[in-house]
Amino acid sequence: MRSLRSRRRSRFGIAAAAVLLSVLALAACGGGGSSGGSGGSSTSSGPAQSGGTAYFAEGTQAAPNYIFPFASLQYFSVTNMNQFQELMFRPLYWFGKGATPDLNLSLSLANNPKYSSGNTQVSFTLKPYKWSNGEKVTAQDVVFWMNMMKVEKLNWAGYAAGTLPDDLSSVTTSGNTVTFKMTGKNNPYWFTYNELSQITPLPMAWDISANGQKAGSQACGTASFQDVTVKTTKTSKGSTVTPVSAAAKSCAAVYTYLTGEAKKLSSYATNPLWQVVDGPWHLSGFTTDGKATMVPNPKYSGPVKPKLSKFVELPFTADSAEFNALAAGKVDIGVLPPSDITSNATTSGTCTIKPGANNPRLSNYNLVAGNAWQINYFPLNFNSTGNNGQAGKIFSQLYFRQAFQTLVDQPAYIEHIDKGYGVPTYGPVPVCPPNNFAASELKLGNPYAYSPSKAKALLKNNGWTVKPGGTSVCADASKCGVPAGTPLSFTLQYVGGSPFEDQLMHAEKSSWAAAGINVNLTTSTFDTVLTNAVPCSGGSSCSWEAENWGGGWIFAPDFYPSGEDLFQTGAGSNSGSYSDPQMDNLIKSTTVGTAKLDQYGVYGAKQLPVIWQPTAVAATEINKKLQGVTPLNPLGNLNPETWYFTK
Amino acid sequence: MTGYLIRRIAQSIVVVFGVILLTFLLFHLYPQDSAARACLGPKASKVGIENFNHQQGYDLPIYHQFWNYTWGIVRHFDLGSSCKYNQSVRSLILNRLPKTLVLVGLSTVFALIVAVPLGILQVIRRNKPIDYVLTGVSFVGYAMPAFLLGELLILWFALDLHWFEFEAPQSASMLQILGDPRGWILPVFSLSVLTIAGFSRYMRSSMMEALTEDYIRTARAKGAGPSRVLFLHALRNALIPIITLLGLTLPAIVGGAIITETVFNYPGMGLLTTDSALNNDVPVLLGTTFVAAVATVAGNLIADILYAVADPRVRYG
Repeated sequence: MRSLRSRRRSRFGIAAAAVLLSVLALAACGGGGSSGGSGGSSTSSGPAQSGGTAYFAEGTQAAPNYIFPFASLQYFSVTNMNQFQELMFRPLYWFGKGATPDLNLSLSLANNPKYSSGNTQVSFTLKPYKWSNGEKVTAQDVVFWMNMMKVEKLNWAGYAAGTLPDDLSSVTTSGNTVTFKMTGKNNPYWFTYNELSQITPLPMAWDISANGQKAGSQACGTASFQDVTVKTTKTSKGSTVTPVSAAAKSCAAVYTYLTGEAKKLSSYATNPLWQVVDGPWHLSGFTTDGKATMVPNPKYSGPVKPKLSKFVELPFTADSAEFNALAAGKVDIGVLPPSDITSNATTSGTCTIKPGANNPRLSNYNLVAGNAWQINYFPLNFNSTGNNGQAGKIFSQLYFRQAFQTLVDQPAYIEHIDKGYGVPTYGPVPVCPPNNFAASELKLGNPYAYSPSKAKALLKNNGWTVKPGGTSVCADASKCGVPAGTPLSFTLQYVGGSPFEDQLMHAEKSSWAAAGINVNLTTSTFDTVLTNAVPCSGGSSCSWEAENWGGGWIFAPDFYPSGEDLFQTGAGSNSGSYSDPQMDNLIKSTTVGTAKLDQYGVYGAKQLPVIWQPTAVAATEINKKLQGVTPLNPLGNLNPETWYFTK
Repeated sequence: MTGYLIRRIAQSIVVVFGVILLTFLLFHLYPQDSAARACLGPKASKVGIENFNHQQGYDLPIYHQFWNYTWGIVRHFDLGSSCKYNQSVRSLILNRLPKTLVLVGLSTVFALIVAVPLGILQVIRRNKPIDYVLTGVSFVGYAMPAFLLGELLILWFALDLHWFEFEAPQSASMLQILGDPRGWILPVFSLSVLTIAGFSRYMRSSMMEALTEDYIRTARAKGAGPSRVLFLHALRNALIPIITLLGLTLPAIVGGAIITETVFNYPGMGLLTTDSALNNDVPVLLGTTFVAAVATVAGNLIADILYAVADPRVRYG
């Protein structure tokens, strides 16, 4: 079943990675952070003052448009979740502590989860939080979410067969403690970071199915998990879930009602439903263009109370429009478009990026760079029928992938194309931001450092006649792994429109050409590239060879960088259909077993299931008078309650 | 005239219907699940895609889908809903259209006010220094990329001099937008420069042509003064090509000006259309195409009617 854990991070991870890289780095960390973020300082210029309005620039064309936390795939984005919903509706567990992606218990609704019975059971106790309507946040609010998940799992963006709620045999409560019994053993890290991370307690005020109903009038919020029964029917196209018990039917009715209300964007700020919050903020204004105005929740019972009197998120049509807003001093936090970066950043160690001098028009801002919890890569299609049926076979040769990766000069691209605002990706576990998951071996450097001579030697030693600047040809089929005469040529499609991506792709093409690897570059839209880059198994629809959507993968809301979604055989987001028994075993040992990610990380770095690419890092501008913003949260979470202005 | 109007309106309805049919069919040339994939992401399960297609009615026979679509438009102006925006296409258009109407409408009016006298002035002073200067300025204006002009205007007048706002008004209400001239002057001016350049060139050549006509010679022979000849006899006829141009401008007024909208952070119809095309947001693309088709047909219809007003020789049976 675990091999089917496929879809969960896909939409969020891929889309968010490519579109919202810049937005991510804007996020501010919550309290309790300790480790320093990379980047510039945020010098205090005077005594703190309470009040004031902070303006936050949303990502270009990435305005929030969905308020209900139980979101389906199309609304599952950093913009909607991390930078909108979670300011009002707190998730059970908060991730991002300082500049690290770690579990942040001080901002979580529950205490540390306790695993028992050989890691087949987990219990957690809720802290004494309150909803803004005065009700307590209770264990039953967690069950409300789980009940909803049971009935509407196909509409929950985070769902994949075999994962929550399928991997639970029971959910029980005792006082303010919730206990999950699992159907099998799980790695506690994996379960906390990838499963519990998905839960958001729901208020009983939402347990209604029509306007004017009394809060809790439906049974979805009050029923036990066991009383919610559904019938799952498997068809050739997948599964369907039909509610059976009365409680399950009420969950379906509540879901229909709440999603209907969530489609009324113009009423977000006035609908009483969405005013019942347990987070530090509630909406006071919302436009259908995506301008969101939030004010402090006066009954917020969490640890860090807002100091600002208002927090406003502003939509922008383009990077240039956002830059103009920064230059005009109309926003307090925004991303500096790469084209407006006037001085290169320098890197200290692997992850610490020290911004260069700021753009002269932005003298009232501090320039800060923060890592995102992500990896960047593009897949090769191991089943590709391209190149007369030989492309997939070429990609399956480790020596080819090694030669190909060896020609990717990540440090040079970061320096010359990303203007220093980038970090290299060497494997499936991010080395940056600094974390406890990456193997120390990878922290030391790139297993495939740039070397054209090594690349050429790899190809020559494996039967290829190398033609630098031309197209190498297989001369010895027994060594190449493909018929003699096969040209080393294929097509790489990437998302067009970004001059930086264009530069990167052409630089890499030029580098690959040095070893006679002829890569034809084509461009298309983001959606088209994503639609093409799906796992396939032969036939005319499997002719794609390499697709680059430009952003790799952001680990959220499954924060444990294990590879079951990406590189396990048959995984839905295993775009290139990579399959390797040892990789499967290593992944399994980190999800079911208790192995650390070291071996998996090193193996993935060396086996090259994808081609690793440099990860661009956003340059974030922060008003010098706005404090409490840094270090930036690598997961994209916003905590404006920690922000304050100085005089 | 009434009969002509009825005939032309009937023709227009047929044309709009044809455009809807054609675009509807064109969009169905996309791979079957592309709309669902664009909305749900490439890793959406088959069941998810099936559910989506069912909810959107994409699993119905195409003639049934077309009937539902056109009937929805006729009955409630229901153009479907956008997955990307989580809104109905109608509300999206109603939100964006006023913005675009203000931007492109004002710029067109402003352009007319400036371009017509400019064209006349060039004719009066033809082959004189002022004619050459204005011709040169027109060419520069015509050749100026909209994004460059927009950015330069923002840089000078908003960021450096602080005379105007760096972005267009953000309200969705037409009245509120109009009530914020510091916001709309720069984008309107930016868009007008291009239009003025085009209109003034048309006006100049049209006026020149009119002045060579026999009736002008006759008017002069009958003792009409230069002003009377110019404004009473020539101008009315010279305006006919401008009327055609204006009629053709209506689709642009509705369709938006994507570059100006982008530069001035002003999400209007142009940006909506291009975004929907890039995102495979089929309902929005169909909706904006429908609105543009109606505007095109209406623009032509209005131009035809104005011909009759401007030119007494034009008579409709």
